[in-house]
Amino acid sequence: MAAAPSWFEGIKILEFGGGAAGPLASRYFADFGATVVRVESRLRPDFIRLLRYKPGDPHGFDGSHMFAMVNPNKLGIALNMNHPRAREVALRLVDWCDVLAENFAPGILARWGLDYPTLAARKPELIMISTCLNGQTGPDRNYPGFGGQGSALAGFNHLTGWPDREPLGPYGTITDSLAPRFVALLVASALLYRQRTGKGQYIDFSQVEGGIACLSENILTFTATGEVLTRRGNQSRYAAPHGVYRCAPRGDDDDRWLALAVHNEEDWRTLRRIMGEPGWAQDRRFDTVAGRLQHAAELDCAIEGWTRQHDNERLAAQLAEAGLDAAPVWNFPELLADPQLAHRRHFRSVQHPVIGEHLCERPAFHSARMDAEIRRPAPCLGEHTELVCRELLGMKPEEFEELRAAGVFE
Amino acid sequence: MSPQLGNLSGIRILERSGECAALAGKFLAELGAEVIKVEPPQGEPSRRRGPFIGEENPERSVPFLAYNTSKRGITLASHHPRARAVWRALVESADVVLYSVGDEDSRAWGPLPASDEDMLAWNPRLVVCRVSPFGHGGPYASRRGSDLTVVALGGNLYPTGNPDRAPVRCSLPVSHFHGGIEAAVAVSFGLWGVATRGHGDTLDVSLQACMVMPNMTTPMQFPFTGFAGKRVGGGFRGARAFFRELWPCKDGYVSFALRGGPARIPGIKALVQYMDECGMAPPALRDRNWDEYNHNVITQAEVDEIEEALAAFFRTKTMQELFEVACARNLLLAPANTAREIVSSRQLAAREFFVRIEDPKRSLTLLYPGAFARNSLGNIRVRGPAPMLGEHNAEVYAALGFDPVGLAKEGVI
Repeated sequence: MAAAPSWFEGIKILEFGGGAAGPLASRYFADFGATVVRVESRLRPDFIRLLRYKPGDPHGFDGSHMFAMVNPNKLGIALNMNHPRAREVALRLVDWCDVLAENFAPGILARWGLDYPTLAARKPELIMISTCLNGQTGPDRNYPGFGGQGSALAGFNHLTGWPDREPLGPYGTITDSLAPRFVALLVASALLYRQRTGKGQYIDFSQVEGGIACLSENILTFTATGEVLTRRGNQSRYAAPHGVYRCAPRGDDDDRWLALAVHNEEDWRTLRRIMGEPGWAQDRRFDTVAGRLQHAAELDCAIEGWTRQHDNERLAAQLAEAGLDAAPVWNFPELLADPQLAHRRHFRSVQHPVIGEHLCERPAFHSARMDAEIRRPAPCLGEHTELVCRELLGMKPEEFEELRAAGVFE
Repeated sequence: MSPQLGNLSGIRILERSGECAALAGKFLAELGAEVIKVEPPQGEPSRRRGPFIGEENPERSVPFLAYNTSKRGITLASHHPRARAVWRALVESADVVLYSVGDEDSRAWGPLPASDEDMLAWNPRLVVCRVSPFGHGGPYASRRGSDLTVVALGGNLYPTGNPDRAPVRCSLPVSHFHGGIEAAVAVSFGLWGVATRGHGDTLDVSLQACMVMPNMTTPMQFPFTGFAGKRVGGGFRGARAFFRELWPCKDGYVSFALRGGPARIPGIKALVQYMDECGMAPPALRDRNWDEYNHNVITQAEVDEIEEALAAFFRTKTMQELFEVACARNLLLAPANTAREIVSSRQLAAREFFVRIEDPKRSLTLLYPGAFARNSLGNIRVRGPAPMLGEHNAEVYAALGFDPVGLAKEGVI
C-alpha cells in the first residue's frame, strides 16, 4: 500500500468487463489510491488474457503480458455470473462500491439483474458508467465492435494514411486509448457531483461518439463548408516542409526516420543554413509558406536526399539544438529508452508472479502533490476472491466455503 | 448560453491555451464548468487556421469554432504593465487555470503574466494545469514540439503506415485529442484534491507521454517479444503471419480482420455464412473449422488464401450494405467512415448525437458533434458556440470590479 494517502484512498470501484478501453480507465483511480475490484470468470476469460494463450499453457490465463500491463493495482475476484447465486455476491459488491464501471455489450448487466434502475433503487448514490462502442441505445447498439471498428466508424481510419493508398488508422486502435481518458474524466466529475449533492448518476459513454467529438474539425468542415477531409500523408495544411524523412541506416536497421516540421520563414532559413544552403533550396518558389505548401512533394524529395546521409537521432538533435521542431521517429525499444520519459519516470517496473518483471505505464500527467504508484501487479484470475469476500464484504468463512463449493467463484 | 448546470457547475476555469489543450476546456465545459478562454487581443493563433467558412476571417475558422464550443471568451495583453494585476483578479476568481506552454500556438503570444507559484500563492485552492509537448523539466524541456514530432517521440508514428513508405500521422492532430482529455482528467483529479483536502495543486501534462498509451502496451512487451514495431498497412501482426484489416469495397473501405478468440470467431463464421449465401465462399473458408481458429497459429500461406477470397467478396459490396449486414449478423466489420457517412448515421440520429447550434453573432447555424457522453441527469451538453474574440470582456471584467472600457482604452484587453 502507498505510504501517503493518495487522492482516491477510500474510493471503491467495481469493474466488470475486459479488454483495454474499460480497464485502463479504472487504472487512473487505482494508481492514485482507489480500491478497484475486477470481476472475472474463468469460464469466459477476458480476451486479453488469451492473447498468447495456447491450450495446455502451464500459466493458464495468467501469462498475458498485455493483461498484466493494463491491470496492475487491482484486486481480482472470480464470479460465474451465470450461476444462480452469483447475483447475491454481485449485489453485495454493489453495496460496497462507490462506482460500478462496465464495458460489456449493452444489456449484459441487465440480464444479470444489475441494470442501473434496479441498482439505483437499492443505492441512489451509486455512480455507474457503461462504455461500449455505439452506446446503450439506438438501432446499432448491439453491434459487436472493438477498437479497430471504433476507429473506422469515428473517422480516424479515413483520415490516416496516404491519399493514394488504403486508410490505416493510427496504430493501436485509437478509440481504445481515448475511451479510458474520457471514462476517467466522467467518473471523476460524477464523484465531484456526488460530493456536492449526495446524488449518484448513470453515464452512457459511446466510444464512437467520443472519437467523433475529438474529430469535431472533421465534422464541422463538412457541415460548414461541404469539404470532406481526407488523409494527406504527413502533409500539413499550414506548414511545409512537414514530413517524415528517411535517414541513414544504423547497422542493418534501414528503417530510420526523422520527423520535421518547418512552421515559419525563420525555421526555413535555419533549415537551409544547416543543410549548407544547397542550390535547390534557393529556389524562390520555396520562399513563402504558400509556395512551399504548393510544392511540398518536390520539397520533401529534396530534403530526403539530404536526410538519407545522416543518422536520424544525431540529425534531430542538431536541428532541435538550432531551434527547429524535429525529432527522431522512435521504434519501441528506443521509446523505452527515451530520456525525457525516463526523466518523468513514465515506465515503472512491476514484479508479476507468472511473467516476472515487466514494465507498466503511469498516467501522462504529474501532480505536485500526489504520486501515481504501482503497488501490486495485475491480479491472477480469481487471486483475491477470498480476500474480497471475507475482508471487503465481511462474509463468514462457512458462507464463503459454501458458495465456493457451489461453483459460484468459477 | 444555457445555464451552467452539470457535474462541474460552479467551477470556473481560465483556459489560456492553444489548440493542443483546447479540447480539455471544451469537454470540461460540456460537464458544466464555466470555461473562460483567455486570448491575446489579436486572437488565439488557431483563429487564423483554415478551412474558413466563407471568407478568411478569425471568426470563421473551422478549427477554432470546432474545438472551442461552450466556452466564454475574454482578451488580455500578457505583456501590458497592468496585465499582472488583472490576471491576479481573474485567478482569484477561478478554480482552475489551464494553459499550454512550449506548443507553437502559445510560443506566438509569450508567457503568462504570473508563475505557477505566484498563482498558487494568490489562490491556494487553485488547480493549475499546464500542457506542453514534453512536460516540465528534463532533457527536452527547451525543445519545440508539435503533433508530428510528439507522436514520433511517443512511439505511435513508427508503427503507423505502409511497410514500403514513411511512418504516417493522422491528418488531424491526435496528440491534441489525447492531450486534451488527459488534461481534463488531470483537472478533475486536481479538483477532487481541492474538494476532499482543501488544497490546490500543479498538474503537468506531457503530450509525448500521452502518446504512449495509444500503443496499447506493445512497446512495453518488447523485452518479452523482441518486437520493435512494424508498419503493416491496414493490418495487424499475429505470431506467424500478417493480417489485413482495411479492404477496398465498392465505394470506399471497410475494416475487418481475421482475429481469433471467443468474442470474434462467431463474427468470422457469420461472414463466411453470408459469403456462402452470395456464392462467394470458396472451400478454404466454407470447409474450415473456425471454432479452432487461432490467429497466432495460422500460417501466412493459409492467411493469403483466405484473404484473397475476402478481398474479392468485399469489392462486390458497398460500405453501407456491408455495415447493415454487420449490424444484423454481429460481424466485426466497420466502414472507414468519412464525415459524410458519420453525419448520416442512423445510430447517431437515433441518439440525437448531433446538435444544431445557433450562433447569431456570426449569423451562422451549424451542425456540430454533440456532447461526448450522456448521463441520467441529462446535464452533459454542448452549451453554445465558440466565443467571439473578447465577447465576454464586459461582463467578466466588470464583475471583478474593473472598468472594461478603461481596460480596453489602455490596451490591457
